[in-house]
Amino acid sequence: MVKLPRQRNTEQIESRFTIIRTTTAILIALVIAFLLILVVSDQPITDFLTLLVGPLRNSSSMITVISKSVPLLFTAIAISLVYSAGQINIGAEGAFFAGGVAATAVAVIPGIPPVIHVILSILAGGIVGSIVMGIPGLLYTKFDSVTIVTSLMMNYVALHLGLYFILNPLRDPSAGFEGSYAFQPSAILSKLFNSRISTGLIIAIVVVFFAAFLINKTTFGYKMQAVGSNPRFANYSGINVEKTILSVSLLAGMIGGIGGSVEVLGNYNRFMYSGFTNHGWDGMMIAVLCRNNPKLIPLGTLFLAYIQTSADTLNLTSNIPPELIEMVQAIIIIFIAAKEFLKSWEHKAIVKNSQSRLVEEGVK
Amino acid sequence: MLEHIFSVAFIFSIVRMSTPILFASMAAVVGAKADILCIGYEAMMLFAALGGVLASAYTQSLLIGMLVGVLSGLTIAGIFAYFVLYLDTTPLLAGLALNMFGTAGTVFIVFLLTGRKLDTSILASLTFPDIHIPLIENIPVIGPAISGHNALSYLGLFTVLFVYYLIYRTKLGLQIRAAGENPEAAEAAGIDVKKTKLIAMLISGVIASFGGMYLSMAQMPYFITNITAGRGFIGIAAQNLSGGNAFGTMIATIVFGISMAFGNLAQSFRLPSQFASVLPYLMTILGSVIVGAKRLRDEKKIKNIY
Repeated sequence: MVKLPRQRNTEQIESRFTIIRTTTAILIALVIAFLLILVVSDQPITDFLTLLVGPLRNSSSMITVISKSVPLLFTAIAISLVYSAGQINIGAEGAFFAGGVAATAVAVIPGIPPVIHVILSILAGGIVGSIVMGIPGLLYTKFDSVTIVTSLMMNYVALHLGLYFILNPLRDPSAGFEGSYAFQPSAILSKLFNSRISTGLIIAIVVVFFAAFLINKTTFGYKMQAVGSNPRFANYSGINVEKTILSVSLLAGMIGGIGGSVEVLGNYNRFMYSGFTNHGWDGMMIAVLCRNNPKLIPLGTLFLAYIQTSADTLNLTSNIPPELIEMVQAIIIIFIAAKEFLKSWEHKAIVKNSQSRLVEEGVK
Repeated sequence: MLEHIFSVAFIFSIVRMSTPILFASMAAVVGAKADILCIGYEAMMLFAALGGVLASAYTQSLLIGMLVGVLSGLTIAGIFAYFVLYLDTTPLLAGLALNMFGTAGTVFIVFLLTGRKLDTSILASLTFPDIHIPLIENIPVIGPAISGHNALSYLGLFTVLFVYYLIYRTKLGLQIRAAGENPEAAEAAGIDVKKTKLIAMLISGVIASFGGMYLSMAQMPYFITNITAGRGFIGIAAQNLSGGNAFGTMIATIVFGISMAFGNLAQSFRLPSQFASVLPYLMTILGSVIVGAKRLRDEKKIKNIY
């Protein structure tokens, strides 16, 4: 009998090529990074190694990776929810910032018992966050305004109004810099196992599981995806499209706002941001790379947090500006997002596979 | 406060605020006509702003500075178009990635060349001149208001005419609209849709580049980190507000310019600067609500007819 090569089906080839594409994208980005490092650095090999494996060298950096991924989990989940419902709502940046401000406003009030104080602060952040992302959703459903524009503008509104509150009623004149009053000890999130990671990590993990459950196992999740893939069909099959979009926007905003609250209460003792934190944009990138799948989001988040930590390490140990890593990040995104990148290779593999299968059937 | 608003200085302030947004919005008009959701104008403007400054500083020639500036923005537009049109990349992601690359890349280059990250003020870069129109300059009251603006501000007005003419009065414009509105039909009619969209994107890149150069070679005499500060996005918003009409878009950018100039003025009267900063963004939201509501009403009317 003729021995034939191992058969694969088309899906297997496709998923294999997804991995190949991602790896190639990362390799291309690394080569470009290496070339840039060659230009700037006087110790290129050392610096390049730091970029690759820097965070693995000590446990402290690994903890930083996890700590950095906590806020990104919130924003990535928030964005993936609205995207699943077909809404290009990029308000997570504003929801995150405003959520942090709202949590600050509650966290500076003295005399609230410990656990309740944390819950109230986070809740305040969540509510304000849901307003920031909810308004574009509401305007879309009521007035058919363009969500990408209104949500982008809401980010700036949230930023400037948030800064107003931080720099006026909440400003601590004795701080010596532009920051809010210090949080009451009762409002600060405790740390896990005496490390630098706050209990916010647990909240983030709960949110990820909640989102995965919501999308895959509930009627609401099904409605959301139906609205996202075909709003007209969803409407004909009796789904209240407007209500679904509004609910998703409010929910996503709440998650983004909680993210902002958890980040400030978990890592700082007062509110000190003076501009956008980029968590919203990073979250958007993760959501899109993970194709809005909550199960993949932790992986994407860890990857991003890892290279950001590398960048910070590199910044400390060399004269390479951390912007280098943002450039690398951008290159990786654009290559992974390029659906036709290496596609002809994949097509050839699929065709070859089908042909050999036909041959086998012919033998039989 | 009123005498400040009805002053020549205030008009100049409006023009200064509107010009970069006008270029960005005209770029967005061309892109939108070809149905390309590009949010990468920030990156094009940033690279053009830096390219123009560096080339003019090293060659001491404004013309070369301008050409290099345009070429820098054009390169980004080309990369965007190649990825979106030929590698089937989600436009939103490609734009996001390029903006990120633009913000970081320009800082990286500035650091490489000057050793500082904040700006290029140590380089002797050139600026575009102000233009005093003879005769008109001497007309009382309106003369001083319409003469003496920067060359690029006047170029901005020509760009509006150019974009209108291009889209509605040329063969290329018709092809761009066809490729944008109904690519299948356009393809059937023998138009190379991808090539047409690529050309539209490149034109849009040239226009956006001038917006970037206005920032670093007219409004400011040097490049500052993240000098665009979201103007590319506001340009997209202005385009959206007017549904892609060149003249309507221009009016929207002037409204933005007025609210920004007003914000600057309010600041000097000790109003919290944040309230002033919020104004243009609130205007955009309001505008998109009005436009959307009007569209809904029109759709209802059509439904009632049939």
